[in-house]
Amino acid sequence: MAAETGTSSPARGRGESVTRRMFRLAWEMTSFKIGLGVFTLLVGAAIIWPELSPYDPMKISVRERFLPPIFLEGGTWAHLAGTDQLGRDLFVRSLVGLRNGLGIAAAAVAIMFVIGCALGVISGYWGRWVDIILMRITDAQLSIPVIVLAITILSVSRPNPFTVTAVLVLAGWPIYARVVRSIALAEREREYVRGAKILGASDLRIATLMISPNILPPIAFVAVLDIARMMIFEALFGFLGIGIQPPTPTFGNIIADGYKYLVNSWWIPTMPGVFLILTLISINLMGASLERARNKLFKGIV
Amino acid sequence: MAAPPLLDAQGISVDLVRRSVSEPILRDVSFQLRERQVLGIIGESGSGKTVLSRVLCNAITEPLEITAGSVGYHGRDLLTIPAAEMQALRGREIGYIGSDPGSALDPTIPVGHQIVEKLRAVQPDMSKQAARERALEVLSAVRMPRPERRFDEFPFQYSGGMMQRALIVDALVSNPTFLIADNVTQQLDVTVAAQIIRLMHDLRDQLDTAIIFISSSLAIVREIADDIIVLQEGRIIERSTPEAIVAAPEHDYSKRLLERIPRIWAVEERAQPKTEGEAALLEVDDVYKTYRVNDPTRFFGHNDVEAVRGVTFNVKAGENFGIVGESGCGKSTLSRLLSWIEAPDKGSISFEGESVAKMNRRRLLGLRHRFQLLLQDPYNAMPPHMPVGRTILEPLLIHGGMGRRAMRNRVLEVMNEVGLPADIYDHLQIGLSAGQRQRINLARALVLEPRLLILDETLSALDQVEQSRLLEIFDKLQAEHGFTYIFISHDLAMVRRACTRIAVMYLGKIVELADNHTVFFNPGHPYTKALLSAVPTIEERRYDAAENLLEGEPPSPIGIPPGCSFNSRCPLAFERCTTDEPGLESRGDGRISACYWANASEDELIAAADANRARRAAGEASAP
Amino acid sequence: MAFVLTFLIRRLAQGVVIVLLVTFLIFTLLRVIPGDPVRIMLGPATTQAVVEARAQELGLRDSIPEQFVRYIAKAVQGDFGESYFIGETGIALTAQNVVGGKGQDTATEQREAKMTRAGVLKVIADGLPYTLMLAGMGLLFTLLMAVPLGIAAGLNQEKWQDRLAFFIGSVFISLPNFWLALVLILLITARAGLLPSIGYKGFGYVILPAIVLAVELAPIIIRGLSMSIAQALQAGYVSGGIVRGLPWRQIIVRHVLRNSSIPMLNLFGVQIGGLLLGGVFVTEFVFDYPGVGRSTVQAVLQRDFPVIQGVAILAASILVLANIMVDLASTFIDRRLKF
Repeated sequence: MAAETGTSSPARGRGESVTRRMFRLAWEMTSFKIGLGVFTLLVGAAIIWPELSPYDPMKISVRERFLPPIFLEGGTWAHLAGTDQLGRDLFVRSLVGLRNGLGIAAAAVAIMFVIGCALGVISGYWGRWVDIILMRITDAQLSIPVIVLAITILSVSRPNPFTVTAVLVLAGWPIYARVVRSIALAEREREYVRGAKILGASDLRIATLMISPNILPPIAFVAVLDIARMMIFEALFGFLGIGIQPPTPTFGNIIADGYKYLVNSWWIPTMPGVFLILTLISINLMGASLERARNKLFKGIV
Repeated sequence: MAAPPLLDAQGISVDLVRRSVSEPILRDVSFQLRERQVLGIIGESGSGKTVLSRVLCNAITEPLEITAGSVGYHGRDLLTIPAAEMQALRGREIGYIGSDPGSALDPTIPVGHQIVEKLRAVQPDMSKQAARERALEVLSAVRMPRPERRFDEFPFQYSGGMMQRALIVDALVSNPTFLIADNVTQQLDVTVAAQIIRLMHDLRDQLDTAIIFISSSLAIVREIADDIIVLQEGRIIERSTPEAIVAAPEHDYSKRLLERIPRIWAVEERAQPKTEGEAALLEVDDVYKTYRVNDPTRFFGHNDVEAVRGVTFNVKAGENFGIVGESGCGKSTLSRLLSWIEAPDKGSISFEGESVAKMNRRRLLGLRHRFQLLLQDPYNAMPPHMPVGRTILEPLLIHGGMGRRAMRNRVLEVMNEVGLPADIYDHLQIGLSAGQRQRINLARALVLEPRLLILDETLSALDQVEQSRLLEIFDKLQAEHGFTYIFISHDLAMVRRACTRIAVMYLGKIVELADNHTVFFNPGHPYTKALLSAVPTIEERRYDAAENLLEGEPPSPIGIPPGCSFNSRCPLAFERCTTDEPGLESRGDGRISACYWANASEDELIAAADANRARRAAGEASAP
Repeated sequence: MAFVLTFLIRRLAQGVVIVLLVTFLIFTLLRVIPGDPVRIMLGPATTQAVVEARAQELGLRDSIPEQFVRYIAKAVQGDFGESYFIGETGIALTAQNVVGGKGQDTATEQREAKMTRAGVLKVIADGLPYTLMLAGMGLLFTLLMAVPLGIAAGLNQEKWQDRLAFFIGSVFISLPNFWLALVLILLITARAGLLPSIGYKGFGYVILPAIVLAVELAPIIIRGLSMSIAQALQAGYVSGGIVRGLPWRQIIVRHVLRNSSIPMLNLFGVQIGGLLLGGVFVTEFVFDYPGVGRSTVQAVLQRDFPVIQGVAILAASILVLANIMVDLASTFIDRRLKF
């Protein structure tokens, strides 16, 4: 019968700490610890080292051009990751690139999370025409490859950190809206919502106080994984020359600049990539661990 | 009896091994099953009965582990037979029917095809055509209507009862020597469950199959078993026969089990409160609710699900009013209408003489103050992440107008009233029992000092003991505050204990409305009698299932045929019942029944049943 | 089969709306953001009057809805306009192309170019076979890599297969496609000389870009497959199948794989489709592979409106159609999904 309420997962009934239990479960996994460890190390280095290092990431030094990294012949302790075609220290430049990339990605995810969740709850809980319009828009937007959308905007709009962030938000929000909408749709049919309505609670009260806290567990890992995804996009924009412009270092523009020297000084385009990938792997390990934790929780294994 | 047992289980022990910690599930369980015997095994959830059923067909998987014992069968031990041989033995010689018919088969493949798949898996030399014929033959044997068509339908097109029938077919199709039936009626409505039990009874006589019948309800096992084993925490604590265990249980636990079975007839009845001449608190006048669902088989088509079809009743202050019915009867829709989460399509609902539909927002909020509904499931009725005190406080916050301290005091006062300790005020709900949660739920409703409380299956999730305690609280509150209750439930025994007046619903309509005593001792509608004949009990039945309930299931709420909606299962139906729908006829004293036989005498009823039988016999004879 | 017809009509109608919406979005976006394609087209040396005249000629000074309606009216007849920059012969005709000495000839070339600009359909049609080949090979590699691993991981939760899949998935998804492309060019083509890349002179040129695509897509499929199989294993028909006497292999092959194919199909419609398209653009650009993707990236960088619009419509239509087919296929596997 149409009036019947949806089924509930076993983990739900047992209460509030779903979020906390998910994080505890993730914390018990080696992969999460490794990810967190590497991430902390990299971010720590990115925060501290550029300030302490004697090298300015932008300063050109003709005498120190094309120095190979420490593990190659001719490498020195002074330049762990070598130097680029203009004699700039790649280690410092990569760390600054990490700062920029991670900052932009995190900001973008935070914003798209808020926007997507808000629209998703509205769409799922209130439904009707808001829902129809919103879902058609997300449909449309998910039908345009992110890159086409992004480069179309960035190629003409004088890229800076704000426009890059804005483009990422524009590209990313529909997924949150859709996931959250489906959660809100399911929650709307649950008994406690009916209970609250009978008590006389307003829709706003139900949506903010009761439905919103249920959003986090299923979507937290999406957000974590998305930080990595957005970092890749940010780097890609830099690589295509439509991200943050040189000389400000970003992973993308360092790689793009060094592309020409691929054959003779291969470390210039690849070393920043190594830092980028380390960061991405650490984030992805954390996100994937969270996802596994969530799956376990909702399967009721624990 | 000198014949060797068919099955000889000796000293079975099973452990649950998780992270190298073993927890005993079964301990030293031994029993024997004779040819053609029906052995009943009773145990509550957690007693290990389902694990035992899986041991018997050697289908134990991690993290469970068999640590000792043997299952002798035709001179061999089922637990040591090689996996490949065992796989064919299961299904071929051992039939198994589980408790969850809805998920037992692959949802993406037609039922008949899966039965054929199984038959050919255990009898590889059988041709596809032969397997199909055999499956159809058994489908007819379990009285599946239109088996040819059913064969090609998907599991989701089956109702719970039909699916369970199909699974019985699946188990019997290979002519097993014994059958394990694990809680087969657990998820079914009482009338459907009674039909399934009757079917298994008949099949045992026809097919010479021994049955191990496992259930948590003594009342159900008693109906079918020759012998009974009582399982508690993985051990057998009593072996008996149905008659002996009901008459004189030996073990304390069996006694307790017996006590917990609700009585239907031997119950102290509540005194009808004096409501003569008083204005009704709640008036429900001819309400209708139809849901529209898409029909994928037609162009932009839709179907109308007629959930509630013209329900009328009044509830007076101080009354305990009951609404009973099986799933799909419209009682949950009615509860949504009564609590005004949804508005009826037609008809009106009035509270204290004022029509709810005409109230503005503010009046409606005020109404919610005096009019509360308690939901079924104590685990889902409240937002899971709120502390206890906050949950109960919520309605006060919504309705406003109270100081912080006053609110807190009010909450503590109500917590005390429903028997919740004050020190759990700041606790979360995790770890609280169902009973405690239901008290929080109750406290949350009471905190607003309502006049009318609707209890929608509120007590269904609780065991007998906890039910009694809450009923006592209800009584006490009623005495102190003059509450009025409406109980909505599928549980006849609960309604019998709690209510003074009872409405019986079938397919969106009230078919009978009368005082408690009349409903249970002198019902005017054949469906009420069918319900009473089907409900599991250890008392002597006043109504016999064979006489009061025919095969068949309630019609779909989409496109309800003309005539009385019960006529397809009614043993008293005659020509007119299939064309004209009977209205509610008065039987005096405010008792009404929607049946042409509402005021018939005993002799007339017997004559009607005979005529019906003759008519059906003629119908069967004329059909090919 | 009235259901299939209803379904197709409903979904195709929805699809048309989506494609229209996408077109309008891109169309508006292109015209709202600053930067004048005519200026880029004609180069900085041209006078404002010439730029204006040219813009008028191209209809770029009319109101956006007017332009949009005109565009749609032509598009339904199969005319998606002409590229601003690509000539009939396939040679790019940009002002930027002639940096380095030939500045004087630019004006002449532009005048000629005006006569011979390539149709958008032709630009797409020229690249499409290459792109389809790349996408097809990419998908093939993806499936070869991901399906066995995903199934193994799903059937062996918490065992080494599962951990391996988890590890490979986490690493692969962390490899940015453009960087991986560079490294592969460096190691495989430049250093080892094992496989050719950069441009297209034969089938061998497809392999490296296809590998890059596969590395990007595989983690999604590995994850989705292992999760849906693990979930299907929890279903009642699995434990039920054992006691009903079905052999384990038969339960897996006929029932578990069948049921877990539905979430996989959905994955293909939504995620894989989008990723594949995006991935094709980037890999084609990095490998200088002559497909639609490379033309698109170049078109975007040059603000070649007609090409961008054409590709956006094409991409959206492909995704919409893919989703409809996926949903239709799903309903045939699982009849409950009749939506």
